[in-house]
Formats: sequence, structure tokens, C-alpha cells
Amino acid sequence: MHSTAYTFRFAIYVTLVCSVLLAAAATVLKPRQVENQLLEMKKNILVSVDIRPQEGESFTRELIQAKYDQYIKGLVINENGEILPDRDPGTLDPKKEPGLFGIYERIEDGDIKAYVFPVSGKGLWSTIYGYLALAPDMNTVVGITFYQHGETPGLGGEIEKDWFTSNFVGKKIRNDQGEIVSINVVKGKVDPNSPEAYHQVDGISGSTLTGRGVTNFLKSELKKYEPFMQAHLQIKKGEING
Amino acid sequence: MLEHYLSLFVKAVFVENILLAFFLGMCSFLAVSKKVETAVGLGTAVTFVLVITAPMNWLIHEYILKEGALSWLSFISEDFEKLDLSFLNFITFIATIAAMVQLVEMVIDKFSPRLYAALGIFLPLIAVNCAILGACLFMVEREYTLGEATVFGAGAGLGWFLAIVAMASIRMKIRYSNVPSGLKGLGLTMLITGLMSMAFMLFSGIQL
Amino acid sequence: MADKAEVQVKREKLFSKKNLKNITEPLSNNNPITFQVLGICSALAVTVQIRTALVMSLAVISVLCLSNLTISMLRKRIPSKIRIIVELAVVATLVILVDQILKAFLYNISKQLSVFVGLIITNCIILGRAEAYALQNKPWPSLLDGLGNGLGYGWILMVIATGREILGSGTFLGYSIIPESLYNAGYENMGLMVLAPGAFILLGLLVWLQRTLNKTISE
Repeated sequence: MHSTAYTFRFAIYVTLVCSVLLAAAATVLKPRQVENQLLEMKKNILVSVDIRPQEGESFTRELIQAKYDQYIKGLVINENGEILPDRDPGTLDPKKEPGLFGIYERIEDGDIKAYVFPVSGKGLWSTIYGYLALAPDMNTVVGITFYQHGETPGLGGEIEKDWFTSNFVGKKIRNDQGEIVSINVVKGKVDPNSPEAYHQVDGISGSTLTGRGVTNFLKSELKKYEPFMQAHLQIKKGEING
Repeated sequence: MLEHYLSLFVKAVFVENILLAFFLGMCSFLAVSKKVETAVGLGTAVTFVLVITAPMNWLIHEYILKEGALSWLSFISEDFEKLDLSFLNFITFIATIAAMVQLVEMVIDKFSPRLYAALGIFLPLIAVNCAILGACLFMVEREYTLGEATVFGAGAGLGWFLAIVAMASIRMKIRYSNVPSGLKGLGLTMLITGLMSMAFMLFSGIQL
Repeated sequence: MADKAEVQVKREKLFSKKNLKNITEPLSNNNPITFQVLGICSALAVTVQIRTALVMSLAVISVLCLSNLTISMLRKRIPSKIRIIVELAVVATLVILVDQILKAFLYNISKQLSVFVGLIITNCIILGRAEAYALQNKPWPSLLDGLGNGLGYGWILMVIATGREILGSGTFLGYSIIPESLYNAGYENMGLMVLAPGAFILLGLLVWLQRTLNKTISE
């Protein structure tokens, strides 16, 4: 049998070895983990404005970085929709500064082709995070991605799949009066003859509650960005509501 | 506010039952659900440990491990603000749980030797009951507040309690049924758990 | 208590019959999931898709082998009073390492496994094998025992995951395999398989099948 002193010594050795090992691993791997998270975010911004790798090509780390640098510009705005010029969304901590939002522009040949807004809210089980991209008319959806969620894979988890997100493309978030009606995830299929069809997308069968969550938070998130949208709205004549 | 806690509690017990929806705590569930009496004992012990460990681990996570959690030490050195110890989550949580289990074990031994004998090997195994560690990890992942974490811990424990007691009652009934020999024991228990989990899923339609 | 195995001074071959049995037994007759009833939680939680199940199996196999090896090497030094907590510390350390590595190199998959990687710590197979085998045996057989039990766990996981993915989502490793014509004829994916009950029922049926084939009755 071992003595009490030995037991204590042993416990201390085990603790020391474990903590040194873990601290070393965490320190070595941390930069790569942080980079992964950033790249994941950039990839989703790119996909939301429909910049994807070409056929047969895959999104490597280098490609994501290159495309992001080429097309995307980050902005920080406040609740009143004003741009804070010397801030970078990468350094923004939403918990410390809840009134500031990081948004992104897709720029091509000096023109802004789309605005990307981060959206998040409760689904059925978890908080869902995503990016919604709008055309410069601040009405037409260019694309949407959901990148982090804890919904049931195969049911609510389908929200991250292309078949679901591609339904959003071309939908309108405003009615004829220019008010935000957002996009509603309906139960089942959208009736194409309904006047509301412009604001609706097909639901996921078996995940009505996840869909309801998405509907709810999209609307409240869009309202948050309304001051900015109003300030940067560009409507070409004769092109109201498609 | 009270309503919010109540809905969280009901959700943790029924809708997101930690055993039937997340499969946590299966091992002891299958092993100790042969008799109602032991099931009640283990269920109580698990609930008790969960109610204590959930808020305790929350405090540890919030004030020691989380990124920037040590900023209250910044009067010693500015560097504490940047420290991120969250990689130590698992090991600290499990240590807290193991310590609590040890405590519960001593208490039960003192006050109810019969229950102690009945639970036998499964008492120390509460430490590795995934329901407890699972609840602690969920609470961190879902960013609950201290109050929410406590309520969630209690709800998850009660949900587990409910499931194992229900299962034990069913198994006592079917002991005398004529079941194909290959299906006896684990096989049948799994099938019944499946049906139970289906029944619990009906709660998910309820709006709270 | 660990002395008994040490009496055999005779050198054994690395892959002697006895050692090989450590690997083959857990694959069928003494499977950790279907016979020892251990490690069921994670077996059910990560089996919605084959890919996550595969990564989970690999993670469990590596943790199981390493923890068995470490504990077996320390078996004469571990004070029996704090045995369990030392075992937990070893396992938890290994799991955190796996988690960190997944986060750094397989980010997408680590996102899907989320908290379930952490739950490897409480996977009863790992602690069970450490208690029942590694504490009494030499490092090499312990390593093989870990490998065998890990593989036994892994193949059950793969079977359940394959069943759930094909029936529940109509895909295999993410590729659709159910022909479009079948859907047009009215076939629908079985949503139940994706949810918790599907996992319970599938595992129940699998256990039934295996126990009937092996004709052993455990209870």
C-alpha cells in the first residue's frame, strides 16, 4: 500500500505533467485555430455573395484569403447606421460593444455590388449564425449562409445546405411601401401564385420550429440595420420591387 | 423573468430531455434500471450532483477559465486580461464533478447504508455519467447565466430521474413476459427507450 | 494486485494467440457496446452521419489506446485511493489534446462534433477498460485491448451511422444514393431515423440480431 505522502506527491506530479502538456498544446495550436475561425467566417461571407470556387477547384485556405482580399471590404457601423471609418470588423467584440455591427461590402471594379449583414438568433436548439447579402437596392437578397448552429443534422441542420439557402436568392425583404417584411420560412412549399411569394421560401419538412426561428430572427436583425440601409439605399428608376 | 426560468426548466425536463433527446447518461441508465428502488436512488443522486455542479462549474468557467475571465486579477498584472484557459474546461469540470460525487457518496454511506449497498459500483460511476458533464458543457456552449445554469441543471437532472424511473417500472413489468431470447435485456430496453423518446418528442411542439 | 500478470516471465511473442484475442474478442463476442453495454451515449449521438461517426471512432480509438497504454505503464505507481481521479485526469488530458488537434486541423468536423468530443471523457468504455484491464496488465496487451475495444466500438458506430444516414437522409457519406425516380414514386426520407428514437430502435434491433446469431445470453 502507498503512504499518504506518496499519494499527495503522485497527485502533484500528475497535475503538473497534465497541465504542462495541455498548456503547450494549446499555445502551439491556438494561432491555427484562430485562423481557422477567421477563414470560416471569410468563406461564408464569400459564399453569401456567391463567390465560389470554380468547378473542380476547392476552397483552400489560400484561395479564400485571396478572394476575400480581392472582393470584400469590412465596415463597422453603429446603431444609427453611421460608418466608423477607423474600425475593422475583425477586431470587433459584439459583447463589449453591443451597439456596433461589423458589415461587409462586395466590391467589384470600384462599385458596391452587395452588402453582407451578419444575422443570428435562436433556432430550435441553439443559436444560429449566418450572413445575409443584399443587393444595393437593400431589397433583393443576393444570398444567405448559415455557418454555425446546433440544429439536428438532417432536419433543422439542413438550413446550411445549398438547396435551402438557394431559395432565398432573388427574394425581396421589403413590400411595395418599402417597409421591411423580411423573408418568411413557410411550412411546406411556397405557393408561387400567392402575392406573398416574393417574401417566402420553402420550409424544411420536419423542422417547422427551426424555420420559425429563422423567420423571427431575420426580421429583427434586419430592423437593426435599417438606419444604415436607408442611408445607402440606391434605387434605379422604374425598378421598385422587381 | 420567473416565466423564463419556468419555461427553461420545463424544456430541460421534457422537450430536451437529456437522456431521450441527447442520449446522455445511457450507461448507468441501462445498467441500473432493473429495479424501481435503485433507479429512484440513482436518479436522486444524479439530480443532486447536477444541481450543485452546474452552478459551480459555471462560476469556475466564468471567473477562471473563460477568455478574459481572469480580468479581476488585473491589479496584479495586465496580462491576466488576455489569458484564455478555456482549453482546461473538460479537465476542471470533470474534477469538480468527481469531487462532488465523492461527497455525495460519503453522505449516502452515512445516512442510508441500504441505498449505498444497492447503488454499489454505480455511485463512483456517476462521475463518468455523461449526463452531468454533458449538462455542464451544454451550459457553456449555450452561454447561460448563473440562474439559467442552475435551473437547467435541475431540469436536466429531473428529466434524467424521470426517464430512469419510468424505464425501471416498465422493465419490472416485462420481466415476466415471454420475449425472444436474443431480445432480452439490452435489445428490448433499447427498443422501449426508442418508444419513450418518441413520446417525449411530442412535447417539442409546445410553445413556451 | 497487479502482480499476477508479472509472474509470467516467459517472453511472449508480440502477436501471440492470447494477444490477438485481445483484438478479436471485442469485435464480436465481447463487444463493448452490444455486450458490455458501455459507451452507448456517444454511439447514438454522433451517428446521424457517417463522416462524424468515423471521426468520432478514430478519436475514441486513439484515446482508448493511449489511455490504456499510459495507465498500464503507471499501474504500479498509481495509489489505489486516488485511482479513479488519476485515470480521469489521464483520459481528460488525452481528450483535450484530441479536441485541440481537431480544432486546428479538421475544423469543419470538430464543429459538427461540438460538445461530443468532450464527452469522450465520460465514455464508459475508456474508464471501464482502464479499470478492468490496463490496471492489471502489461502495456503491450493493454494497448491491443484498447485497439480491439476501440475497433469493436467503431464498427457498431459505422453500422448504425450507415443505417441512419441512408434511411434518414437518403445519402451515403453525403452523396445521394436514392434514385430520383424513387422519390417521384412517393418515397420519402424517414425523418424518424435522424431523430433520437431512430437511433435507439436501430441499436435495439442490431443488438437483437447479434445476440441471436451468437446465441449467448448475458442476463
